[in-house]
Amino acid sequence: MPDLVLEVRGVDKIYGEAETAIYALKNVSFSVKKGEFILIVGSSGSGKSTLLNMIGLLDRPTNGKVFIDGLDTSTLNDNQISSFRNSKLGFIFQFSNLLADLTVLENVVLPRRIQKTDTNAVEEAKLLLKTVGLESQMNKYSNKVSGGQAQRVAICRSLINKPTIVLADEPTGNLDSVSAETTVQLMKSLNRKLGHTFIVVTHDRQQFGDVDKVITIRDGKIIEDEITEIPTIT
Amino acid sequence: MDYRAKVGLRFITRRRGSLIAASLAVAIAILVVQVNVVIFQGLYNAIVRDQINYRFGHVYITRQENFITKSDKMLVNWLERIPYVDAAAPRLDAVASINATGSGQTIRDYSVPVIGVDPVLDTKASTMYKTVGDGQYVSSRNSIVLGAIVARDLGNSHVGDSVKLKFKDRNGVDELRRFTVVGITETAGSVGLDNSVIMNIDTLREILGRPHETQSIMVKLNDPTKDQEVKDLFLRAFPTRSDNFKAQTIEESAETTLSGFRSGIALINLVGYFGMMSSAFAVVTIQMMQVTSKTREIGIMRAIGSRRKDILIIFIFQGMVIGAIGAGLGTIFGVSYTAYAKETHMTFQGSLALEVTYNWLGILQTDILAFLLAVVASIYPAYKATKLQPVEAMRFA
Repeated sequence: MPDLVLEVRGVDKIYGEAETAIYALKNVSFSVKKGEFILIVGSSGSGKSTLLNMIGLLDRPTNGKVFIDGLDTSTLNDNQISSFRNSKLGFIFQFSNLLADLTVLENVVLPRRIQKTDTNAVEEAKLLLKTVGLESQMNKYSNKVSGGQAQRVAICRSLINKPTIVLADEPTGNLDSVSAETTVQLMKSLNRKLGHTFIVVTHDRQQFGDVDKVITIRDGKIIEDEITEIPTIT
Repeated sequence: MDYRAKVGLRFITRRRGSLIAASLAVAIAILVVQVNVVIFQGLYNAIVRDQINYRFGHVYITRQENFITKSDKMLVNWLERIPYVDAAAPRLDAVASINATGSGQTIRDYSVPVIGVDPVLDTKASTMYKTVGDGQYVSSRNSIVLGAIVARDLGNSHVGDSVKLKFKDRNGVDELRRFTVVGITETAGSVGLDNSVIMNIDTLREILGRPHETQSIMVKLNDPTKDQEVKDLFLRAFPTRSDNFKAQTIEESAETTLSGFRSGIALINLVGYFGMMSSAFAVVTIQMMQVTSKTREIGIMRAIGSRRKDILIIFIFQGMVIGAIGAGLGTIFGVSYTAYAKETHMTFQGSLALEVTYNWLGILQTDILAFLLAVVASIYPAYKATKLQPVEAMRFA
């Protein structure tokens, strides 16, 4: 299946050992096609963020494998994982997680600096910031912009390296309703325009309206009969 | 600028309190070393200076286990023909029993060192004459200059007082002479001849029955760095095997005085360098706090692709910034203190004027050491930063 960008195969995540072992994820398997907008939903403590960390290579599964762009990520060493995260994955976190000591523009450019492909990075970052309506804020320190603006900056940062997959962990969890709506619409429009694959963890399924797929997770397991494919409205 | 340097610089400069505290710790350590150098090296230099000026000159010539019997005038003339020699002066040492009479009572009667000097040549080769605070230096044959300690021991003798000195001549026969005090000499820190009496060398020769004999010749140079050369020239002209001369540079002649002092300086410097080590601990503590306060940022950077090595470089670069600023500040503080000590003619315990010099090589060495210590002190915090897992680090609020 050439258009598969992500395949999660039988992933377990176990904390603790023997009788104290706790399954955060149990035999999780699913796949995502290129350009899809996927929601992972579930209640607090269901394991959805743990799953996102496995997909984002921020944590390693106890058992099972994660394939991204057809590559078995369990074969990568620490440095290769860092490079892989940098070039193939974009991250949006609940609290935006920008570097407060850098300006908005510097935050967006940072993944390119890490990648050491600085050519045109600033121009591309400015273009992205313009797209999200933040061109006037680009020289402010990132802790001087509002929560909604910071989340838009984080979206720009996640896209600067043209990643295969953008991972968002509760991106609207810390925003007021207006900013949350703006952020959701922005992600969906970027998904449509740029064709990036978005995997979003949320506890508020309704906020995202129509998406390509919703994966519901409970007690570390995907509830098979609730995997729902919803046609994208064009 | 490399992004790691930029991030490191922003991390540390945007937390000014940490930067100032860490840099000051480094700067103060450098200052402590500099203060030690100014005071103790200054004191050492002052003692060397005074030993040169009052006792030995830059080159000190004696005859092994005996008096110099060659004509002092011939030797002085020979020495003064060397271009590096400013002046040379003969001296003769003896011991005498001294007493003074006040209100019909004899005041003290004890042994004092007696130094015979040539009144003309000695003022060229030595600055002893400048230490006469009251009266004048030795001139006529029966004049005598008392050291301040001797004058005090004699019940505060004054210029114009009469003192009696009893010598033993070369045959062991007592010679009693009366002299008129023409001056009192007093040196800072009593490093001069404060516990001696100074008299005309010809008078002393006559009393001791040693006409034309000399104990030592002190040689003053216009270029002190040529002391070894002058010494070698002299010993080549007057070989030891025939004349039995002994020529010593100041380091050799004042070795007994200086060697103990050198050990003291080494010990004091060691204390200074221990102070520098404690500044390194301060840097470690501040850098650890810095790593803790930036835990979330480290997690973000790791999440978006920074490698462990990049995180290590960021915090080591911070150590370099702290070291550079600290070394800069320390140099400013240290040089300012040195300039202050030099301009105000700082004295040791209110007496001996320190001989303060700018030791640029020493300052540079201290700066480099402090810089390296700040960098080394950053390695452990930087290493701890690399061990943070992105997921755990990002949870840190």
